[in-house]
Amino acid sequence: MAGLATTFGSGAMTNSINEIENAEVILVSGSNTTEAHPQVARRMLAAVDRGARLIVIDPRRTRLAEYSHLHLALRPGTDIPLLNAMMRVLLDEGLADDLFIEMRTENFLALRDMLNRLDLTETAELTGVPLPLINQAAQLYGRARKAVICYCLGVTQHVCGTENVQTIANLAMLAGHIEKEDTGVDPLRGQNNVQGACDMGALPNMLPSYQAVANQDYREKFERTWGTRLPEAPGRTLVEMTHGGAQGSIRGMYIMGENPMLSDPTLKKVEETIRGLDFLAVSDIFLTETAQLAQVVFPAACFAEKSGTFTNSERRVQMVRQAVAPPGECRADSEIIMALSGRLGYAMKYDSSAEVMEEIALLSPIYGGMHHDRLDQSWGLQWPCWDRGHAGTPFLHKYYFTRGRGHFMPSNHTEPGELPDREYPLLLMTGRIYHHYHTGTMTRKSERLNRECDHAVLQINPEDAKALGLRQGETVRLLSRRGEITLAASITDQVATGMVYTAFHFREAPINLLTNDAFDVGSGCPEYKVCAVRVAKMMSS
Amino acid sequence: MPQTITDIYLPRQARVKQVVVENSQISTFVLVFSDSQYNEAFRYQPGQFMMVSLPHCGEAPISISSPPTRPGTIHLSVRRAGKLTNAMHGLRVGDSIGLRGPYGRPFPMKQLRERDLLFVAGGIGLAPLRAVINGCLDQRDQFGTITVLYGSRNPSDIAFQDDLALWQKQGVDCRLTVDTAETGWDGAVGLVTSLMDELKPELSRSTALICGPPLMFRAVLGRLTTMGFRDEQVLTTMERHMKCGVGICRHCHMDGKLACVDGPVFSLAELRQLKILELAE
Amino acid sequence: MPHTATTTSSHLLKKDHLKGFLRKLAKEYRLVAPVRNRHSDVLFTVIDDLDAVEIELCEPPQNSLKQFFLPQQEQISTYTITLEGYDFRPTQTHIPPTVYFGVHPCDLSGVLYMDVVFSRQQRDPFYLRRRQGSVLIGVNCNSPAPNCFCNATGSGPFLEMGSDLQLTDLGDRFLVEAGRTSGHALIERWQGFFSPSADKDRAAHYQTFLEARGRFSRQVHVEQAIRRLEAGTVPDEVFAELSLRCQDCGGCAYLCPTCTCFTISDQQLDATSGQRLRSWDACTFAGFTGMAGGHNPVQAKTGAIRQRFIHKLRDDVRLNGRPSCVGCGRCVSICFGGTDIVRFVERACQGSL
Repeated sequence: MAGLATTFGSGAMTNSINEIENAEVILVSGSNTTEAHPQVARRMLAAVDRGARLIVIDPRRTRLAEYSHLHLALRPGTDIPLLNAMMRVLLDEGLADDLFIEMRTENFLALRDMLNRLDLTETAELTGVPLPLINQAAQLYGRARKAVICYCLGVTQHVCGTENVQTIANLAMLAGHIEKEDTGVDPLRGQNNVQGACDMGALPNMLPSYQAVANQDYREKFERTWGTRLPEAPGRTLVEMTHGGAQGSIRGMYIMGENPMLSDPTLKKVEETIRGLDFLAVSDIFLTETAQLAQVVFPAACFAEKSGTFTNSERRVQMVRQAVAPPGECRADSEIIMALSGRLGYAMKYDSSAEVMEEIALLSPIYGGMHHDRLDQSWGLQWPCWDRGHAGTPFLHKYYFTRGRGHFMPSNHTEPGELPDREYPLLLMTGRIYHHYHTGTMTRKSERLNRECDHAVLQINPEDAKALGLRQGETVRLLSRRGEITLAASITDQVATGMVYTAFHFREAPINLLTNDAFDVGSGCPEYKVCAVRVAKMMSS
Repeated sequence: MPQTITDIYLPRQARVKQVVVENSQISTFVLVFSDSQYNEAFRYQPGQFMMVSLPHCGEAPISISSPPTRPGTIHLSVRRAGKLTNAMHGLRVGDSIGLRGPYGRPFPMKQLRERDLLFVAGGIGLAPLRAVINGCLDQRDQFGTITVLYGSRNPSDIAFQDDLALWQKQGVDCRLTVDTAETGWDGAVGLVTSLMDELKPELSRSTALICGPPLMFRAVLGRLTTMGFRDEQVLTTMERHMKCGVGICRHCHMDGKLACVDGPVFSLAELRQLKILELAE
Repeated sequence: MPHTATTTSSHLLKKDHLKGFLRKLAKEYRLVAPVRNRHSDVLFTVIDDLDAVEIELCEPPQNSLKQFFLPQQEQISTYTITLEGYDFRPTQTHIPPTVYFGVHPCDLSGVLYMDVVFSRQQRDPFYLRRRQGSVLIGVNCNSPAPNCFCNATGSGPFLEMGSDLQLTDLGDRFLVEAGRTSGHALIERWQGFFSPSADKDRAAHYQTFLEARGRFSRQVHVEQAIRRLEAGTVPDEVFAELSLRCQDCGGCAYLCPTCTCFTISDQQLDATSGQRLRSWDACTFAGFTGMAGGHNPVQAKTGAIRQRFIHKLRDDVRLNGRPSCVGCGRCVSICFGGTDIVRFVERACQGSL
């Protein structure tokens, strides 16, 4: 989010998902696309079928990496040096798009100076990727007519997540691969509506439509419509809230559809914080680990039980229509909020989600032309959509960047918050698997999905497994400075020596007991992708 | 014109008459159908299996470990492996259980008459063979020599000890081996194939019946072939995930065959026609 | 489709009278037909009010008839745990006699295949109860959809038998053929709606068939793939490549009119009771063959997807003399990994020139 906002002026996919299919080169970084975004992966595979070249940057040999033409298996946390090295190659080979840089960007000299000071050999060594491979990747990307970069949480969930994203943006601008159809930079969003949540101001410093809280004009606009005063200071980030409740200043919380008791790093701190609150209310569709700690639980309606819109990764706002009535006392989130707000002394009276949408259109310029009647007759509209006559925007930054000129933000390597050492010699990465979603609140209840996978596995390289004397499937202890869990070992060369990988879906093996709460200052995103651990055999009984 | 069709999926109630603990992982459950008339008339063949139901656990196929010569009860010898089999281990005498069957193609007992029989088993693999062995012993004069080779993980893990002792008394050549010895064990140590070295079977009149975990299975097949057994002389029973038991749901597919109706008993010659993991290079 | 298809039992039904005919049928049967809904999706739907729906006979429906005979999930028994023990009670299914109208040849072939599956080894009570008392009224395909390839699987675009009545759109009228005595009975019963066909109608019918055959946009060499599978000359790499791309969604199996694999599972209702459910399953899922304890006798990398194709194109050919792929193209439209049966056939036949 923050990374693209500072460079391009807008933190969303610059392309539409189907444009990926037409790209000549696709550079995928930190995304296990076939498992986490299968509908995006299909476009990548289709592009490859049409002759596109696929470059995958990932420490693990994922299924997509197996399918790729070039797999750059970097050492976790070395994205910046890797991309810097690629950019240096572009400069050296004369593959930088000078005209584009001249016409559409600013601060290029800072980047050029930084790149020119790089020792390529040293940089390559830092990343663990052979220089010839970096060279090849840079040339493929630089020479393409149409090239997209897709990235995901493998890029952002680092202490230097914002800089990682800025460096990706630098690469795209350097090659002139932006502002065109089938060409751009595409962050793949996770949950079906995480883009929508950001758009609607579920960020500490933003009102809907990325209108800064700090800006008095924006605040006044909302205050006039809502007839109430708004706070002038930005709010707090997630980790600030769930790790110490901003040092005790937060006494109560209302958590909606989120399960920090499984999803946030260093769970012990989260539990301390939440148990230390005077009051906790949770609304969710099932009684999650977090909801179990609440004084009040609001049973919420699920997606099929309410009407409204979801906004997906490609900024597409789509209608969701109620298919069945909510069971028992469950209510749609909007109804819960309205009822709660009324009791707190501020009456919200919206008769339908269409009426809420009308207000969104009124206050959020990028949603200015989005109305239910329009959305109902189409496959949705992509923002920015300024007014009723606007057809929506398939790709961003046509003719000019949202912020005017694209801004180069050169960065240097930043070490992860915690690296392996003698005591904890392995590097742990966390991620997701195909069959489960997030903390398993929903998917772990499906008999069929549990049949496919009902337990956490720890991917470990055969060499490391051999040194530890592990058998395939053996239950092992995984320990970090912050906690310990047990899970089954899966011996595979998908991970390199010195690193292990697991998913965070399983309450039986809550990996976030182990993860580090170091986070990216720019975005507040925790470093889920790197921490130091050790693996131990179970005590023999 | 609507006609009544038998509900092939409906289990019948049976009760546990006796539980024999074979080892820490394996127990034999002696079962009797609650409907005494049905129980009386119930018949099966060695090698066949029952679909077993336990409350909230669904169904699983379990091979019958008692011989057809002793009707009136059904023995199911079960190793703890998953939800259902673990729940089974919680059953006590008098508890009820759901059963349907018998299903599957049995061992060809008629073809085995007059022949010398070599049984090779590992762990729970002895369960289906136990049905054949006891069946042969009940009609002792119809069969040639009987040899049983049985491999276990360690001495305290040896299951079916009562049977093994009894068979020995009845003139069966029983040989045991363990992967890992413990103090007090003076028997053989090593793979079950090591027991085969000493055998001098009369090949022209011998049939081998084998059942055990995949690794053992491959090793034994290899050994039998070097000993001179032809593929037709080797019989085995295959383990697969099953849901219907009657050839419709297809969970037990084996390269065009279905373990539930085309098997679970196959000759090695038949298996060689199939591309299956057990025989993959 | 021989030219001598001068079946004496062919009749004409004017399009103007179709609704009237259906209205008569709806008085005695439950009526199921392809209906275009307000989102413009065409789906086989139970019709309560003939005047409130738009029946679509040209565009193929997104679902097949499978769900009506083998529901996505159905209860097959209930059980209780009491002092008397653990007891099962059979589930009775009462399906009203139903007319399935507007069934395309591929879907008709699908039903005929299911008839075999659910009565070959054992008679499946739940399927057969749903199938008994059903009437199939087919409609031949004059213009195959872009993904259609029933011409390559021998299940279209025109069928001569299998349905009770078979309709062919001749513009302002349907040519109606009665395939079975039950079909004759329907015509007999409502004979006012039908008139005898003339030679020119039968000629138009044949001309329509010829034109339909020329309208396929895909060339899918199913027969060649069948031969190669039987000969064992499809290299393992083909399956490995498709496995790598398969996204494990099961969509192909769920939409396929002939994928009938199912699973059975228990759903606990309270401490002392529950229901046993049967639901659709897919052989491409690892859990389809995984056994208790974690062992899987089918190799995840190649075995699961291989099963899908050898079952349809080799094993069923051995058993029934024809593949169980009916060429409806639904898996082609749903598959987002590009591992559908057309892709398989192409890969399997590659290098054979």
